[in-house]
Amino acid sequence: MTDKKSNDLEDLGNLPGFKRGNPTYFENEVIDHLISITLELGAELWVVKDRLAHVEEILSEENKLSLSSLNTGKPSALLQEQLDKERKQIIKRIYGRLYSKYGGESAEEKSAI
Amino acid sequence: MAINKAIYKRGKTAGVFPSLSSRRDEAYMNFVEDARNLLLHAQQKPIGEYSKLLLKNAGKSMEPDPRSTTEAKELLMKDNVLKTYYRIKRTLQESFWECTYDSLNMRKNDLLQALDDAEKIGPGSVTYDPDFSIPEYATAEIHIQPGGNANEPLSGLLYDYGSKVFMGGAADNDMFADMQASTVGAPQDGKVNRILDLGCSAGVTSSALKRIYPDAEVWGIDVSSHMVRYAHARALEQNHDINFKQMLAEELDFNDNHFDIVVANLLFHEVPVSVSKKILSETLRVLRPGGSFTLIDFPGDKTRDVYTIFFGEMDAADNGEPFLPGFVRSNVEEIMEESGFEMSPYDPNKFLLAGRIGFKPNN
Repeated sequence: MTDKKSNDLEDLGNLPGFKRGNPTYFENEVIDHLISITLELGAELWVVKDRLAHVEEILSEENKLSLSSLNTGKPSALLQEQLDKERKQIIKRIYGRLYSKYGGESAEEKSAI
Repeated sequence: MAINKAIYKRGKTAGVFPSLSSRRDEAYMNFVEDARNLLLHAQQKPIGEYSKLLLKNAGKSMEPDPRSTTEAKELLMKDNVLKTYYRIKRTLQESFWECTYDSLNMRKNDLLQALDDAEKIGPGSVTYDPDFSIPEYATAEIHIQPGGNANEPLSGLLYDYGSKVFMGGAADNDMFADMQASTVGAPQDGKVNRILDLGCSAGVTSSALKRIYPDAEVWGIDVSSHMVRYAHARALEQNHDINFKQMLAEELDFNDNHFDIVVANLLFHEVPVSVSKKILSETLRVLRPGGSFTLIDFPGDKTRDVYTIFFGEMDAADNGEPFLPGFVRSNVEEIMEESGFEMSPYDPNKFLLAGRIGFKPNN
């Protein structure tokens, strides 16, 4: 039967993720913020690259641009495929280096689920 | 009445997910999904191997027991490489919810109208009670999803797209749900007329079960009215005849011996262990003799090494899973047996989320 003692979860209170508000993982929370800033910059850089590629595709094919087609339209399947590939490479290049010293290049490719 | 297509105004992503409100949001989420995938792929190697090396160099045992596990966790928590790994994971989780929430809220009125309109048409049905009393445990913001499942009117849509990103593509085209549904145990005599999906959330598993048993009457129940409303609209889009109802899994509003199959896909780690026991008792009641119950969830800690326990607890914390650690420590197979189920062999080594399958005795 379930051991009541083994269900005592008090030992988990110190895990950062279980703390209310913005959890911090480092003693100096500035490091937490800097990491989050770096990720946000990467995401916004990708948004701009994605939009530029979309603009280029529309202009090269239709020679006219509308904001609505940029904001709510989608790139062609071919461009989407190229973007997916490029995005994965960029992410691996920028963030993969965090773990390259520890064998990051050999991260398992199979699904982690 | 025609289907209101506002949910799919920008079409679909990865087969089934309603596209977000703008290309900008889609591009942002693509980035977050791929960055998260990099972390998921690094889980075993290099991060897992690195963690195990740290433990080995410090002379810590990998065998789980309360003392060694606590010491190992303290050691790993001090390491800057691991702190960075978990910081990134948490930030990405916060980012994908913020983006999904903002993107859907831009069209909130249209989306809620589409859910209202979907209620009035079939196939299938949805039933809920605006005065339903939500237990306190179910109001937690699990997965750190804004508003949680029960209190945010767009929670079904939020959860659906959020789970796509969280699963790093494994849920695309309902692949993951179809694969999990294919592992659900059939009744001992093979006869399947009625199926119940407990804690159905967005109804993804209910639909997968309907695809396997197209002639069966399928029910999906969930504590959240917002979830069952979206689940119905989603099933409607797939032309699946499924009945969704707001209901507590621990207080089932069905007759005794009513279902041939009951499934709980990733429900049990979202509820306290005390509630799990009530759910098991109710499940046994509504199953007919010989009927099967499949409980799909994470393996218990007794099958894990110290690093995997640490990883699981960090993951639970970062993913806002207040009841997951209690679940993995509870030995649910034993509780199922004690509740009266005849158990089939269970092997999480073949598949992390393998189902624990139990049958209602025939006598």
